[in-house]
Amino acid sequence: MTTPATQRASTDQSVLDRPVLAIDDLTIEFRVRGQWHAAVRDLSLSVGRNETLALVGESGCGKSITALSVMGLVPKPQGRVAKGRIDVDGQDIVRLDEARLEKIRGNRVAMIFQEPMTSLNPVLTIGFQVAEALRVHRGLDAAAADAEALRVLEEVKIPSAARRFHDHPHQFSGGMRQRVMIAMAIACKPALLLADEPTTALDVTIQAQVLGLLDDLKTAYGMAMLFITHNLGVVATIADRVAVMYAGEVVEIASVHAIFARPAHPYTEGLFRAIPRIDRSEQTLSAIAGQVPSIDRMPGGCRFAARCPLREPACDASSPRLEEIAPGHAVRCHVRGPARRVGMGAGGGVGG
Amino acid sequence: MSRGFLGRLIDVFGANKTSWVGLVLFAAICVVALLAPWIAGSDPLEQSIIDKLQPPSATHWFGTDEFGRDVYARLVWGARISLIVSISAITIALVVGGTIGLVSGYIGGRFDMLVMQAMDVLLSFPALILGLIIVALLGPSLHNLVIAISLTALAPFARIARAPTLIVKERQFVEAGRALGYSHARIVFVHVLPNILAEILVMASLWMATAVRVEASLSFIGLGVRPPTPTWGGMIRDGFENILDAPWLSIYPGLAILTLIFSLNMLGDGLRDATDPKLRGE
Amino acid sequence: MFWYLVKRLLASAPTLIAVLTVVFVIVRIIPGDPALTVLGDQATPAALAALRTKLGIDKPLHLQYVDFMLSALQGDLGRSLVSGRPVINEVTAVLPHTLDLTISSLLLGSAIGIPLGIWAALRRNRLADYVIRIVSLIGLSFPVFVSGIFLLLVFALQYRIFPVIGTSDLANLGDRAWKLVLPTLTLGLVMVAYITRVTRSAMLQVLSEDYVRTARAKGVPARLVITRHALRNALIPVVTVVGLYLGINIGNSVLTEIVFNRPGLGKVIVTALNQRDYAMLQGLMVIYCFLIVVTNLLTDLTYGLIDPRVKQS
Ligand SMILES: Nc1ncnc2c1ncn2[C@@H]1O[C@H](COP(=O)(O)OP(=O)(O)OP(=O)(O)O)[C@@H](O)[C@H]1O
Ligand SMILES: [Mg+2]
Repeated sequence: MTTPATQRASTDQSVLDRPVLAIDDLTIEFRVRGQWHAAVRDLSLSVGRNETLALVGESGCGKSITALSVMGLVPKPQGRVAKGRIDVDGQDIVRLDEARLEKIRGNRVAMIFQEPMTSLNPVLTIGFQVAEALRVHRGLDAAAADAEALRVLEEVKIPSAARRFHDHPHQFSGGMRQRVMIAMAIACKPALLLADEPTTALDVTIQAQVLGLLDDLKTAYGMAMLFITHNLGVVATIADRVAVMYAGEVVEIASVHAIFARPAHPYTEGLFRAIPRIDRSEQTLSAIAGQVPSIDRMPGGCRFAARCPLREPACDASSPRLEEIAPGHAVRCHVRGPARRVGMGAGGGVGG
Repeated sequence: MSRGFLGRLIDVFGANKTSWVGLVLFAAICVVALLAPWIAGSDPLEQSIIDKLQPPSATHWFGTDEFGRDVYARLVWGARISLIVSISAITIALVVGGTIGLVSGYIGGRFDMLVMQAMDVLLSFPALILGLIIVALLGPSLHNLVIAISLTALAPFARIARAPTLIVKERQFVEAGRALGYSHARIVFVHVLPNILAEILVMASLWMATAVRVEASLSFIGLGVRPPTPTWGGMIRDGFENILDAPWLSIYPGLAILTLIFSLNMLGDGLRDATDPKLRGE
Repeated sequence: MFWYLVKRLLASAPTLIAVLTVVFVIVRIIPGDPALTVLGDQATPAALAALRTKLGIDKPLHLQYVDFMLSALQGDLGRSLVSGRPVINEVTAVLPHTLDLTISSLLLGSAIGIPLGIWAALRRNRLADYVIRIVSLIGLSFPVFVSGIFLLLVFALQYRIFPVIGTSDLANLGDRAWKLVLPTLTLGLVMVAYITRVTRSAMLQVLSEDYVRTARAKGVPARLVITRHALRNALIPVVTVVGLYLGINIGNSVLTEIVFNRPGLGKVIVTALNQRDYAMLQGLMVIYCFLIVVTNLLTDLTYGLIDPRVKQS
């Protein structure tokens, strides 16, 4: 017999264990010349409380659009979520109407954008822009919202925040603007923070400061963080787990240790060969020859086959599935997948 | 590059229905003007006091004016004046203004500053006021009307030709052209011009709409081509005196002017939508 | 803000001087002798010479130029050759009528054009957008004397709702407003069309900006995203265009005044041209340039209110 008390305890426990963000089998499509093409395909991932998942991949592989879909901000009418679920706090974002989404955006889920120079409204003061989220979601009056906004601006370490509260974005440097963006995002203490390349536009020292700040905030608030980047150096600093994306698919997902120690997918290996050095932050992942195929020209089999050093006939024949090769470590590859590993394991005589 | 331009132009027309409708409408008015002697039916100048101020009927489709002249015939012939004035004025403005802009931009420096300052002054007068003053000074005639209107449209073409010249001037192929020993004129006309043709075309159609409007307005004020030559603006001017008894005298020419200007605006607007990458897209 | 305005005022000085010079030159190349025009063929040579001396046109050109510039800068615009009254009096007598018309049509244009433009932008490529675009293009294609006559035909002659004669009593506000309705509609129609189109394209531009996405990501309700975040930015180009258009409006008011038989600057210009009243014409052009400079200043002022970036630079 379960008493009401134990029942409550068990549901509380399950809420705590439940990931803050759980994306399941998500496909996002864009219309190109009248035809719908998948930019993100069958994507599944989850991020837990006080955890940072890094989403890594080359330009155009679908990182930003994945994050936008979590906000319910896939650009309409040219884009749509074709299938799948996006559960935030156990609530499926995909099926919410605009009014319900507005209640969640900036409140339970917040996003920091890639472009600090253009993401702030030039005609509004930064103080107002930070306070706005508090007014909308907390129902605070102007004075209370301003006071709280000032506290947040101080928390993200804007020097003399009180004096600069009524300044406009053009009076701030890129690094400071990104801090303002962060302040806006965390103002309502979201459960989930989506950070889309928050440091790419900044120079290296500022980059390190902002990263440190984000990491501290995550710990302080116990946030779940989806951190998008194409810089593996940054991944090593901030992430707990890593999902590597290629052409709209997750090709490998593992803990940060496993990825750095035993990268399985040839694309991940390629990324490591292309790791940007600390003194050259803007380096592109050019060590892998070729480019991500555009969404209307996706090959039939494995999407990476054309650029893959391990390419086999099977790779062009069918697309591989994402399968576990070790607990918490999955890979999408015919050559490096579990099928071959089992064979290798048997031949190598692992037991013992 | 020139092929690219032609090809693009065809794409542009293909992609944009608005510009097609405008073009067809405009072409139709041009055809009417060309065929005036054959389709006007009667002499636009022939007076007949017994027939004066007749409402529209089977014999006089659009009625007759106070001298008994057929409004339909006068409308058909009037199209010629509107088209002749606007086409020649814009052609002159385009050639002269465009040349000023290209040369000024290409030379640059003090000279350029001075020329553009002058163009700014010209531009600060609205077309109608400027046209009014110039025609009043020179006296109303077809000739002077064309000169006045082309002057009002000079500045925009100078501006439009100059801006891309400055950019293109810096580009590689101009440097390359210099290295190959091409003359300045050749560089401007072979390399610079094709780059701005689409934009010029948009401007030309929009300013032609303005030219038609200014011509009609001046005729309405009494500063147009001298009567008895039929002009649309002049017809409205005469009709306005009889507006109580014979509203058709004002209505039909009014609709004619509206249609012509509308066709040109559609043409220019559609072309701009299709050539401006910012406005294009889903 | 104050210094910004002073700077703008100083910056417009060269343009003003250039325009005055052009006015001077234009008026000097009028064919014919102004004295002869005024006094007629029968005038005695002595009378002609006396008038020339009085007008100052017997002096060498460069002295005339200096005289003209100095008095223009002091606000002295000379006297009409026909009526003999100071130009400035003739102008101030009719200026309220022209300002009434210009301002009311501007208000009408903004009140209808801005919401319509926003709506079209939000309905991009849907039926409402197409209808608004076509209708506004038609509105833009009306020469004002044509739309004026059409309105007159319908509302004053057919239905007799509004008066045909436009001369109004400035002191009687009700009468003044009543007689303003049709002329305002006439000028306002073009203005509505113009503002609608500019607002639409500015909104389209702004709605695709990153900061609008940021606002949505904050959970700001859609209505506030449009009014608070998008519109204020979109108004910047709208103000530019409205400022430019005020000049064109003065040109159009000439026609409106003729159609509705209203007094105003436009009619004074046409009369002066017909009578070859060269002193009057010169003064009118100076006034006109002055109005343009004032308009530009007002535009800049509005900029400063909307766009915080302007004050610094
Ligand atoms: N508005 C859109 N319209 C059409 N296609 C789009 C749109 N936005 C994204 N896409 C498609 O989705 C793909 C993924 O875009 P996304 O912005 O998510 O890439 P990303 O991984 O964030 O790249 P980057 O590192 O450059 O930011 C793009 O290659 C593009 O083809
Ligand atoms: Mg991105």
